[in-house]
Formats: sequence, structure tokens, C-alpha cells
Amino acid sequence: MTGARSGQQEIGWQRLSPRMLLVHPVHELLRQLPLLIGGVVLGSTTGNQYWTVAVLALTAVVGAARWFTTSYRIDADPESGQVQLRVGLLHRKVLSVPRNRIRSVQTDARLLHRLLGLAVIRVSTGQEAKSEHGSGVFELDAVRVEQVPRLRAILLAGSPQPVAAATAGPTAPGGVLARWQPSWLRYAPLSLSGLLTIAAAGGVVYESGVVGPLQHSRLAESGLNAVQRLGVTSAVAVIAAAVLVASVVLAVLRSLLTYGNLVLLRRADVLHLRHGLLRLRERTYDMSRLRGGTLRQPLLVRAFGGGRLDAVMTGVHGAGESSVLLPPCPVSTAESVLTELVGDPDVVTGPLRGHGRRAAARRWTRALGAPVLAGVALAVATGISVVPVWLWPAWVAVTAWCALLAADRVGALGHRVDGRWLVMRAGSLERRRDCLATAGIIGWTVRQSPLQRRAGVATLVAATAAGTKRYPLIDVPENEMWAVAAQASPWVADSMWAIR
Amino acid sequence: MVDPANPPSRRAPLRWAVGGAVPWLLLAAGQLVWIGFDKRMPWLHISIAVLTLLGAATSLAVVPLWRYRVHRWELGPQAVYTRTGWLIQERRIAPISRVQTVDTYRGPLDRLFGLANVTVTTASSAGAVHIVALDVAVADHLVAQLTDIAAIGAEDAT
Repeated sequence: MTGARSGQQEIGWQRLSPRMLLVHPVHELLRQLPLLIGGVVLGSTTGNQYWTVAVLALTAVVGAARWFTTSYRIDADPESGQVQLRVGLLHRKVLSVPRNRIRSVQTDARLLHRLLGLAVIRVSTGQEAKSEHGSGVFELDAVRVEQVPRLRAILLAGSPQPVAAATAGPTAPGGVLARWQPSWLRYAPLSLSGLLTIAAAGGVVYESGVVGPLQHSRLAESGLNAVQRLGVTSAVAVIAAAVLVASVVLAVLRSLLTYGNLVLLRRADVLHLRHGLLRLRERTYDMSRLRGGTLRQPLLVRAFGGGRLDAVMTGVHGAGESSVLLPPCPVSTAESVLTELVGDPDVVTGPLRGHGRRAAARRWTRALGAPVLAGVALAVATGISVVPVWLWPAWVAVTAWCALLAADRVGALGHRVDGRWLVMRAGSLERRRDCLATAGIIGWTVRQSPLQRRAGVATLVAATAAGTKRYPLIDVPENEMWAVAAQASPWVADSMWAIR
Repeated sequence: MVDPANPPSRRAPLRWAVGGAVPWLLLAAGQLVWIGFDKRMPWLHISIAVLTLLGAATSLAVVPLWRYRVHRWELGPQAVYTRTGWLIQERRIAPISRVQTVDTYRGPLDRLFGLANVTVTTASSAGAVHIVALDVAVADHLVAQLTDIAAIGAEDAT
């Protein structure tokens, strides 16, 4: 048995594209940059440039060796077969994924890969990343672009079609669901990505030690002179304006490079997303794995009538880039795409059932508790000693802001449930409307803190294998909470604990 | 919804009390060492000692009994249902048809008191049902029952 198995295992192992012999050394050089710098320093201090050459050659050889030590195979049988990947130069590792567990296939091509006509194929399964092999990502890095459609078809062929395909709505036709528009760029500056980029760049520059020598250079001195001439306040204003402009430009540029040319397609029961001007990313999702979608509207984006769309899908991380279906775009676009996927316009835009007076009261006490306490403290302090006058207007502004936030949160809170869909909306700074297929809900939790017990409300959490796994519905009135669960899940309504 | 019927083992409060006492004992030992080295600021020593005593009393007497009154579990023909916690209370129900694994866990203290914990996991990381501090015989019976009904592996349960 073992002999036959090992004999069989030697069959069908394939190497990745030989063009990776060009890519791997470059990536290896980039990865081992500190070592390289060490080599150059050693070479120049000893006056023997062979050191530099040796380090360079060694890194390149290690990079090339990665190609020789990596191979993959795909079992012929789509039901019980496996996809395996052997990697590792010193530590040999075999990653195996059962073919019928493959849920989505993604491709990703960085600039160098694209120039050489290559693409990385990433396979993900419906399981948590807790397999006994550790958190190894199953990645074929890389194959020829021409092979991708064939491999994708082979890899996804083993994925079973579950009976409860909750998403097979009346709209089954294919076609383009959404295409990137230049007007979407207006939402790009509203995110923090530009500022974060600047902060990261600043950190790198500071870490690299360039700042030290610059401190006494003529550049720094002329800068200090300018500050003295302008006065500190205006200098700070100028710098802030410059950072702001730079962050807006960076954010727009980044959004353009990442999402320009985005196309979201639907072919029969496969959802296809591709985007990226420089680094091209392609994702294919099995529609029968789609458990709904999340419409996310950060406050600033919402103020300009925008929203972003995330997929709620088994086998795909719920947060972060891998679940993005649409970047910030006009909310009508996001809603129409979600309607197309869900098949029921009421789920996406229909009215919600609020959570009542006590849930609203809890929002108000939470938002205004701290400001009211601060106000009392301020009043006491004014009675005892002198307090700067500007503190009072500041307090009024903060309190008003908190009150607006509370009002917005009260307005947002709500749910909607029928036999097929559970819809929940909450939040103000980061408002989200989660539309979840009830067929995918595999557990309910009712959670009550002492204060919630006193107010007669509870947090109802729907557990699912898709998306962020945990979908909480906050402050549902106690007398409604199990009704929501029972309406969504027949196994709750029919259980022996249900009161009939 | 009616609450689940079965309480944990009678020895569960004892196990929780011992488990809860350990960190407070460590803290008390640390204080004794501190007093041995440094006898200044008696008010600080006294107030910390009082806090430690209060904390130890809570976790030794109040929490275990409170927990014992809250904790309940029951296995139905279609679902498993638990109530847990003390200050923050949780009720959790999961369908047996979607169960992926049934694990038993016995830590050193559990073995000392003849207890076992059963964890029923589903495909969602937010949906695992923990039934803690059961008598070993009860836990074994429960696991056998669960694996019988669940027919684990029949479908992929996502």
C-alpha cells in the first residue's frame, strides 16, 4: 500500500514556470537587502570586492534553487483527490488541499510577473487556517498566464454545489455587474490611506538614518530660517497643508493604481473580479458559496453619498482586501450590485425594524455619559479656581458632536428578517448593513451584560462560516431576540426549548 | 425559549473556587515577600491586602456559586443549547447537523475533581459551544450521543 502510494506520488509532480528563474533571484535580492548591504560594506572595507560578488551570487543561487525545489501536483479525482505543493530548500514541506474543499481561486501578478507573462495562483478553502500544516498559504508562484484559465477550471471543478444555494435568486443572467468609473476617485481622499502612506514613508526615512546627517545640512538650516521668518503658527499651517495635499494626491493615486480598470463580472454561478493597473489581481468566487454582502459606509464616504461592498463568502476572509467587491463608489452602484447578487431589492434597501426605546436610550447614555461627567467636573473646577475660558466652547462642541453621533447611531440601528435573509444595520462612524443568508447561519448566541439585563435588551450574534464569522445585532429587545433567531433558522423554531 | 435543563457537576463550584483562588494566592505570596523586604508605608500594604482579600473572597465564594446557578446545558434531537457566564451571561444554540468536531478536554484541576469539558465546534469560529465542568461519565455519554446524532463528515457543514 505504502509502496504503491509513494510510487504513485512521484507521478504528476510538475514544476512552476521556468521564467520564475528570472523572478526568484530578483525577489530574493530584495528580500535579503540587509545581507546585501552587509556584503557591500564588507567588500568596500576589506577592499576585496569578491565579498560583494559572493553574497550576490549566493542570494541569486538561493533564489534559483527555490524554483528547483518547488513542485505541485493535482490528483485526477475531483472528489477524493488532493492538490499538493512541495516547497522548501532546507525545510521540506508538503501542503495538501482536498480538491472538494477548494472554495475560491485568486490570481495576483506583480509588475515583474506581468512583464514576464506570469501569475500567482492562490487557492483557499472553506476551513479556518488551523490545519496541522500550520498557516501555510497554498500558492502556486507562478505559472504562465495562458495556463491560468485551465488551472482555475480544474481547481474549481471539485468544489461541490451545496443543496442550500440561497443565492440562486430569480436573476440568473451573467454580464458585467460593475465597471470602474473615474468619478469613483472622489471618494479616495476620504480614506486615511494617503496619510498612512506618508507616515510609513516618514518612518522608513527616519529608520534608515538619513535624518542624522541631514540635521546639520544646509537644507535643514534654510528650513529653520524659513520657520523663524514665518513664525511657528504659520509654519505649522504650511506644513499641515502640504501634508494634506500630499496625502490627497497619494490616496487618489493609490486608488487609481489599485482599482482603475476594475471589472466585476458574473458568469452563470461564478463571480469574477479583476482590478489593478500595475499589480493585476483576479478573483473568482463560487456563487453557491456566497452568503450575502456587507454595505460599508464610513462617515465621510457616506456624507458624499458613497459606500463600499464586501462579499460575505465561505472560504474568504471577511475583513480586508480579499473580500472587497467594490471600493468606495456611489452608493446606488453598490446597492444595485448587491441587489443583483442577493436577488431581492427589499433586502438591500428595504426599511428596517428599529430596536426600540431602550436601545435608543443606551445609545444616548453611552455617547453623552463622558461629556456630561466632564461638564460637571468643569463646573466644579470653575467654582474652585480659574479655568481657561476656551474650555467651555470646546466642551459644547464635543458634546454636540457626541449628541449628533448618538442620534445617527439610533437612526442606524435596525434589523430585518425573513426565511431567507437576515439584514442588520448599525454604526455611525463605520456604518454597515450586513445582508446574511439564513441558510448559512450555524449558531446563535444571546449575550447580556448586567446593564443589558436591567434594560431588558440583549446582543444577538449570528454565527456563520462566511465573512467575519460573527454578525452581532446589538440591543435587541428581550422579547424579540428569540423570535428573530426562530424566524431565520427553522431548527431554532422547531427545537425542544421553543415556547409554542 | 426555555432555559436548558441540566446543571454542571456538583463538584463544579469547588473546581472553579480552586481555579479562581490560584492567582489571588500568588498575589498574596508576592505581598508577603514585599512586606518582608520593605516595611515602610503600612497604609499601602494594608489597603492592598484588603483589596486582595476582597478579590479572593469574591472569586472563592461568590463567583463559583453564581456560575453554578447560571450554567446549564441540554442536548436536543436537533440542537445543543447552553447557558454560561456569571456577570456577562451567554446562551448559545447550535444545530447538531452542522457540528464538525466534538472534543473533550481535562486539565489538571479537572482531573483532580473528576470533571471534563466538552467543546462542540462548527464551521464558524463564533459558533463553538463549550459545556464545562461535567462529571466524566456524563461527558462521555454526551460525546457518544453527539457523535451518534451528528454523523460527522456526511457533509461539509459550511
